[in-house]
Amino acid sequence: MDTLPALMDGFAAALSPHNLLFALIGCILGTILGLLPGIGSTAGMAILIPLTMAMDPAGAIIMLAAIFYGGAYGGTITSVLLNIPGEGESAITAIDGCEMTKRGRAGVALTTAGIGSFIGGTTATIGLVVAAEPLARLGLRVGPPEFFSLVLIGLALLVGLVGRSVLKGMISAAIGLLIAMVGIDPVAGLPRFTFGQAHFFDGISYIPVLVGIFGLGELLASAGGASARPKAPSLRELIPSRADFRRSAPTIARGTAIGGIIGLIPGVSSAISSLLAYSAERKISKHGKEFGKGAIEGVAAPETANNAHSNASFVPLFTLGIPASPAIAVLMGAFLQNGLTPGPRLFVEAPDLVWTVIASLFVGNLLLLVLNVPLVGVWTRILAIPYSVLRAIIFAFIVIGSYAVNNSVIDIYVMVFFGVVGFVFRQVNVPVAPLVLTLILGPFIESALRESLQISQGDFGIFLDRPLSLVFLIIAAAILLASILGAGLKRRAELPVDAEV
Amino acid sequence: MSSTPRISRRALAAPALGLTATLLFSGCANVGGGSGGSGGSSDSGGGASVDYPTGPITLVVGFSAGGSTDTGARLMATALEEKLGTSFTVVNKPGANSQLAYTELTQSEPDGYTMSTINFPSAIMTVIDESRGATYTREDFAPVALQVIDPTAIAVAPDSDIETPEDLIAAAEAAPGELRATTTGVASNEHFALAMLEKATGAKIAPVHFADGASAATTAFLGGNTELLLANISDLQSLQESGELRIIGVMDEERSDFVPDVPTFAEAGIDVSLSSSRGYAFPAGTPDEVITTVSDAMGEVMATPEFEEKMTQQGLAPAYKDSEEYAEYWTETQALFEELYPLVREAK
Repeated sequence: MDTLPALMDGFAAALSPHNLLFALIGCILGTILGLLPGIGSTAGMAILIPLTMAMDPAGAIIMLAAIFYGGAYGGTITSVLLNIPGEGESAITAIDGCEMTKRGRAGVALTTAGIGSFIGGTTATIGLVVAAEPLARLGLRVGPPEFFSLVLIGLALLVGLVGRSVLKGMISAAIGLLIAMVGIDPVAGLPRFTFGQAHFFDGISYIPVLVGIFGLGELLASAGGASARPKAPSLRELIPSRADFRRSAPTIARGTAIGGIIGLIPGVSSAISSLLAYSAERKISKHGKEFGKGAIEGVAAPETANNAHSNASFVPLFTLGIPASPAIAVLMGAFLQNGLTPGPRLFVEAPDLVWTVIASLFVGNLLLLVLNVPLVGVWTRILAIPYSVLRAIIFAFIVIGSYAVNNSVIDIYVMVFFGVVGFVFRQVNVPVAPLVLTLILGPFIESALRESLQISQGDFGIFLDRPLSLVFLIIAAAILLASILGAGLKRRAELPVDAEV
Repeated sequence: MSSTPRISRRALAAPALGLTATLLFSGCANVGGGSGGSGGSSDSGGGASVDYPTGPITLVVGFSAGGSTDTGARLMATALEEKLGTSFTVVNKPGANSQLAYTELTQSEPDGYTMSTINFPSAIMTVIDESRGATYTREDFAPVALQVIDPTAIAVAPDSDIETPEDLIAAAEAAPGELRATTTGVASNEHFALAMLEKATGAKIAPVHFADGASAATTAFLGGNTELLLANISDLQSLQESGELRIIGVMDEERSDFVPDVPTFAEAGIDVSLSSSRGYAFPAGTPDEVITTVSDAMGEVMATPEFEEKMTQQGLAPAYKDSEEYAEYWTETQALFEELYPLVREAK
């Protein structure tokens, strides 16, 4: 097998000074773009593509790829420090990340996220090198019925998320589902709950909702003195302790597996990977009860999973030529612009380039780690800004970020509305995690269900006939059963179930 | 302790950088740099001496940055900047299948400084479908020029028995409603394609709607969930080259330059022709001289081999129509869709 020498050549090219520089620029640019909610790395990449015309193909693609995963890291920073999730994939990170910040453990959270992202991303890239072809075939096995059953696992895990009051958890989950219902019905093609506003035909964008509930909700709560004010940590507090490492290591391993596998399925957002990793971790981890109160696993799981997902989504691009996400589609545009068509023939037509890009994925992940772990100290100094000033900056951030999603003022109103909702949630102790879960999963569940039934011409048996789908269904049922039995046992033993997310 | 204030100033710079990034990357993404330079060549075409353009032109794009509509529009904007000697501001206004962008365009001043991308079928569908409550009609647009035509094509698995359009019709007649085909949503181009096929031949094919888009549809097809994949020819070309699928027919009068070996449905005697297309329009009431100036400039840009090559690389099939031809094409296509619309609505 000549993979290894080819990869080594790739490394030689990727480590050349100018390619390294492009990777560095990309990582920094991506991180900055990711800092702001609403401005994804996707838009940044798309706008930069014309500028990369003058560059050589390898440099251009390396830089764009670095922006892509740098963006994910930038989103983490604002989620953890300011409780503003920049993208769906870091929404769930905000819950425990921001709690950690309030306890002065922001540095530990960011460092762990950086390390987790590195491990997740690198492992997924190794998968791309050793078994791209079979992995891509595995991804294709997940059609609509399999995906529906997979998402049901996510819903089953919801029970674990609801916390002390099942009723309050269900209220939160139901609100999330209701928001997810807005938009054009995917099969009838008719508008639903849109208030006659064309703006809502595509559904309510979840970024303004999340930014409102987390960011503005937090601002309102802290203005009333109801919320603890985060302090900037000292340098010593930036480094995770041995206990932190011991606790997050298995979480990172599981997050890598979840993100790496789900990332292989084209068309599935990385938000799903981070949600599933978080909910699964909450169920599996010994420290499940600490979730929502600043558990390090609550940061490590989603952050590892979304980076593993991002890197795994290169597999369908390189092997089948299918862009797995909008960001990957933009990257595919960069290939096309240079006269290269992504797909299996790329390895034959331009092996040097492919291996250089793959090697640069490793280099880029490492760069992000090297760049960000020392920079954690700088980022956390944001918290040293007087809170009155910081609050104004955050407000500007969330307003501009909400606007930027669709260049639309309506999204600012949406954000403000859900800011009030978030404030009320805090006042009456309704957990937000179930809402995030159903809000993001809702549209996926609906379209997967209805596509499956169109495929089977209305026969629900399709979910049981397909082996993979059946396996997922059994897992979902087992989780649900275990939760119900577990809750019954706990009640009998009168153990406090005090975790509230 | 003297180091603390220094670091915190740096920390303050971070959000500020973020803000700069928004301004740069969201709203006012000014394509290209210099607006001056070789500007003099704008007095082409009509000969009417209107002083246009004298300022920057806003180009509203009804899809997110990075999609193929956006890619084509940014290529065009960059080329026009040089041709017309002014700067273009590309504003992405995604949502509701471009309805938001069309609404914004038709409500803007018809002074030649606001233009929008126009996609078929969305520009037509949003008008025909009453449930969408569009505030504009065909008469509110002043077509400028057409840039891209991408015919719809039908593909099957490489080992399928269906090899030609005739085979497809025969298979559909043998088992009505059993064959399943992907679409990218209700009343999408692909959905209309199935309706046209049924109208022309009586072949009943069951649609599976993937409202999430072409990528989800392609994945489901490659995973063996449907027998047929309907998509734009540009999306199918590379998958055929890599042996993942076989295109059996193109729904156009002529063969596609992307896949010259694939026959058209017309060759098989089945008169179905359907494409998604992309062009540009001003709001109605824009002076004719302005429309002609921009329309001709686009024609000149598209006539250069370099520009054609750039478009082809991105999978955009160049197809120029000037403002009059485009207006005619618009009217024809709208008539066709109005006729087919009941079929799509009934079929669900």
